[in-house]
Amino acid sequence: MGPGFAQFLLKRIVGFAGVLLVLALMIFVLARVVPGDPARIALGPTASAEQVDQLRSEMGLDDPLPQQFVHFVANAVQGDFGISLISGRPVAQEIAAILPATLELVLATLVIMLLVGLPLGVLAARYRNTWADTLLRIVSLLGVTMPSFLFAILLQLFAAYFLVSWPILGRLDNALSGFDGPTGLHTLDGLLTGRIDVTLSALQHLAFPAIALAMSGIGQIMRITRSAMIEHQRRDHVQTLRSFGVPGRVVTFRYLFKLSAIAPLTIMGLEFASLIGNAFVVELIFSWGGFASAGLEAILQKDLNAVMAVVLVSGCFFVVANLLIDVLIGLIDPRLRMKESR
Amino acid sequence: MALLDIRNLNLSFTSYGRTQQALRDVSLTIEEGQRVALIGETGSGKSVTSKAVLNTLPGNARVDSGQILWRGEDLLKKTTGQREALKGIEMSVVMQDPLSSFNPVFTIGRHLDDVLYWADCRAGRPTGRKDRAGRIAEILRKVQLADPARVVAAYPAELSGGMRQRVLIALALMNRPALLISDEPGTALDVTTQDEILRLINKLVIDEGLTHLMITHNLGVVRATADDVYVMNKGEIVESGPLRRLFEAPKTAYARDLVDAIPPLYGPGVKDQKVSDGAPLVELKAVTKTFRRKRLLRPDEATQAVRGVDLNIARGEIFGLAGESGSGKTTLARMVMGIMQPSEGRVFIDGRPLSDTGGRADRRLAQIVYQNPGTSLNPKRTVGQTLDVPLRFAGLDPKDRQRRTDELLERVDLPRSFVARFPHELSGGQKQRVAIARALAADPRLIVLDEPTSALDVSVQKRVIALLEELRYELGLTYLFISHDLSLMRNFCSRISVMFKGEMVEQGRPSEVFANPAHPYTRALIAAIPVVTDAEEAMKPKVTPEEKQRFLVSSAA
Amino acid sequence: MALIEEQTEILSARRMAWLRFRANPVAVIGALMVISVIVMAIFAPVIARFPDHVGAVIDFRNKHHAPDATYWFGADKVGRDIFTRVIFGFRVSLLLVVGVLIVAVPVGGALGLVAGYFSGRIEALITGFTNVMLAIPPLVMALAVGNVLNPNLVTAMFAITLLWWTWHARLVYRVSKSVAAEDYIEAARLAGASHWHILTREILPNCISVISVKTTLDAAFIILFGATLSFLGLGVRPPTPDLGTMVADGRQFLPEMWWGVLFPGLAIFYATLGFNLLGDGLRDMFDVEV
Repeated sequence: MGPGFAQFLLKRIVGFAGVLLVLALMIFVLARVVPGDPARIALGPTASAEQVDQLRSEMGLDDPLPQQFVHFVANAVQGDFGISLISGRPVAQEIAAILPATLELVLATLVIMLLVGLPLGVLAARYRNTWADTLLRIVSLLGVTMPSFLFAILLQLFAAYFLVSWPILGRLDNALSGFDGPTGLHTLDGLLTGRIDVTLSALQHLAFPAIALAMSGIGQIMRITRSAMIEHQRRDHVQTLRSFGVPGRVVTFRYLFKLSAIAPLTIMGLEFASLIGNAFVVELIFSWGGFASAGLEAILQKDLNAVMAVVLVSGCFFVVANLLIDVLIGLIDPRLRMKESR
Repeated sequence: MALLDIRNLNLSFTSYGRTQQALRDVSLTIEEGQRVALIGETGSGKSVTSKAVLNTLPGNARVDSGQILWRGEDLLKKTTGQREALKGIEMSVVMQDPLSSFNPVFTIGRHLDDVLYWADCRAGRPTGRKDRAGRIAEILRKVQLADPARVVAAYPAELSGGMRQRVLIALALMNRPALLISDEPGTALDVTTQDEILRLINKLVIDEGLTHLMITHNLGVVRATADDVYVMNKGEIVESGPLRRLFEAPKTAYARDLVDAIPPLYGPGVKDQKVSDGAPLVELKAVTKTFRRKRLLRPDEATQAVRGVDLNIARGEIFGLAGESGSGKTTLARMVMGIMQPSEGRVFIDGRPLSDTGGRADRRLAQIVYQNPGTSLNPKRTVGQTLDVPLRFAGLDPKDRQRRTDELLERVDLPRSFVARFPHELSGGQKQRVAIARALAADPRLIVLDEPTSALDVSVQKRVIALLEELRYELGLTYLFISHDLSLMRNFCSRISVMFKGEMVEQGRPSEVFANPAHPYTRALIAAIPVVTDAEEAMKPKVTPEEKQRFLVSSAA
Repeated sequence: MALIEEQTEILSARRMAWLRFRANPVAVIGALMVISVIVMAIFAPVIARFPDHVGAVIDFRNKHHAPDATYWFGADKVGRDIFTRVIFGFRVSLLLVVGVLIVAVPVGGALGLVAGYFSGRIEALITGFTNVMLAIPPLVMALAVGNVLNPNLVTAMFAITLLWWTWHARLVYRVSKSVAAEDYIEAARLAGASHWHILTREILPNCISVISVKTTLDAAFIILFGATLSFLGLGVRPPTPDLGTMVADGRQFLPEMWWGVLFPGLAIFYATLGFNLLGDGLRDMFDVEV
């Protein structure tokens, strides 16, 4: 790795911290300036003016805005997003309780996206302009053009007709509903606690939502991998190896693949934001009970503290995912590691 | 029986339903042990010929008729597998561009090992990794790479261009092929590095007794590396014969023009430009340029691109600035033009400091013609629109602009109808003419010529240079000519200077500099120029290997 | 002179592009699909079988009427013709597309153009801001904004536009940056050209192809996005027909009354597929990376 890579990562981390700070500012402004009085919303229309005033001063709403913002950020860094205006419980606690569900869904989706999208993209490029390529391009187009809620509904219908016993709602079988593990990721917890039945049930429940959520990403990754492969195919280094008799399949699957994985990974990082958005819909349809459906709830009920937390946590998701992807790309591409050290 | 015998090969490319013939009745014979050169300008079909032999043609190419006999057997009738088996074992190629010839995310060692592994497999004797590593180290030493272990562990971007070119040669030699094809080796490198690479290939070909086909556009290179020459033009072999005969008494007009187009370095053909005695137009006093790069948590990185340069360019002069890549010559030119400000020292225009005029040179003072015709014109704008910009911003009214545009096109010998053309509808030489016309449009006194002909074929180069000479004479222009092509500078410049690592190491009239180079670097630079005749070769300064080591950025370490 | 300059056979850029486009039947199909959607949207009142079903009509006799010769796509839970509502739904979708792109493309394009040309602080500021905006999940933002304000077509447009420009800014920035480094830009500067001239006449024409490809592909994404928003209940106010809302309504009656979901769903798919195919075709035609 070397010092160059550390330098590179440090830069990215500083950059991402900046992203989160600005994001916090934006959502803060939106929440404080636009909608009116949060205290009034929290207490409802029946509360008296004195009650509202008291809550205002308790919530620090009478302080000047910059001070409020500093306060908000300082608290947020410590994981304190205030009290939910609807349920009255700390927002952080509520989010912590449902975050693992979404994390599990998103991770499973990412795995499916990469495991399906990358190889299919490579195959499409390798068998370019054959029926296989055409078929794969249609599949990728389907992924990109179909809304994920439609996929989710279609999968549920499919299960209803053909896999009658397959679960289409929730995260676990009813019989296992009380289960609680150390990480909150049911698939992992099942393995950790030796409850294979939990893992199996969790995987079964996870399959359809994750597939529905992954479809658009699979389409994108396939498309980009394919065009990156084809683009690199024209380069001289392919000629070098080919003209010394290294077989075409080795050049494709080893040399071109590694180089061509950079572009789809980069795009995956950027598209992560829309993945989180789609998770809102898919969770709703599959009654997933995760962060996204809770977020939707908070937004619909105008629970401002929760909304701010939801947006910030979504931003964190994005930032962490992109940091991981940067590490991955750094591992693949030595030029990135050298650029900084020189 | 000849090793390779190409008979009446016809080949065409098809794209979007349109077929264009690339090779017409090409016939070429190479005997075992022969050193043959195939020369021609861009698009003449020389690389296509070698690809047809190697079977690395792109998918839209089709052989229409003809034979490629390899030891008497027609390659075109063999199966893909059989042809594949020849690659890297019977015939090898040294590729042209050493930067893009390696996959950037794999180490050099990985490339070498895979090539060796598959070659061994095809030869039916699979080998162990350790054994291959030994052979790789050995072959790398053979191409004079001093530290094989480092080279093997390096990624392509970690090596210099010269080193990568050496690795490419090592790849080609790995299995001691019966035929070695060199496709413009070292063209993308500096003159001195290119010279070293050519010497290396030559030495290896002779030492190992290889059969060699050299593909190049540079006739000087041919003289040093081949005994027999084929000349190609527009897909046809126009002439062939022994090197000496072809160079001294070419039979066809095309070959003669090709030979004549090369500017001589020494001898009676050399042209001396009149030295100008005009007042200084541009003066540089102790100019230094330092580039700083901000870094996180560490002190800024500073590189001195130009160090303490004194320079003056007189009115009416063609001042040549020579040097290899990274020598600081382009930075210097940019400071003369006022695009960049010096970190230390001062620039005077007409005796007035440039900093007095807001730092930026008046457009009536200096204009530039760039090296690469592909990027010097906006692809989305017609010739007329391009020429209109300087005129419009000089405040001319539309009618005058129209008139002046026509005038300018006439000046650079282009038909008026070209105003409506887009750059991609022009040839490289025509693009450079438009770029010259654009520079003239601002009515400048100084034109900076940044290697204006290095991307052009010699024949085109000759005519562009003639045009520049004519313009200077008629319009009383001053040129600052930046180049690494010393033979061209010898004939075109009235004064030259040589830059090395940001410093000016030599300055004087070309006749003096070439007859008596004072600085060892200048000597090494001149010695590295490929020349066409033995007489010139004999007149070049002699440089000892020790001197070379001292001043050349060695490509081996 | 015996040596003539190399003669290359010249194809005009337009002709070359047209050849590439025509060689790609998929692109032609995409173009036809897009045209058909636009025609249906414009002439919806003429084509529709029950133009009044756009409003709050209730016809319980035909509630959940299965598809037949009269009700091509069947009828919804209050007996309105789904075919009529689908083609009027295209109107809403296209209106959303136009509303978003008409602001997002010029704003994003201009910012990208400027950031790519001027280096230094302006560049750092614009790219930094763009990167922050890219980190916000658009749907989350649209939901937050849409709900805090009032959920309707205009708010949806506003919310989407708020983030959508970033993609154009990013893309145009990339092209503008590489074009700005070309020799011909410096030559134009040296010739005395103004920044305005360079931005609009020298750099912008080089960005047009990527912008047009991206805009076409965007149309598909925005239709999808708008449908998702309204599926979640933050789209157009009923009774105005909206494809996403129709899918959400129909979902309650699955699987028996399948047509309520299938046809609006297919309509979304048809429109997005058309724009995608056309965009892909344009991409091949201009030979650009988007």
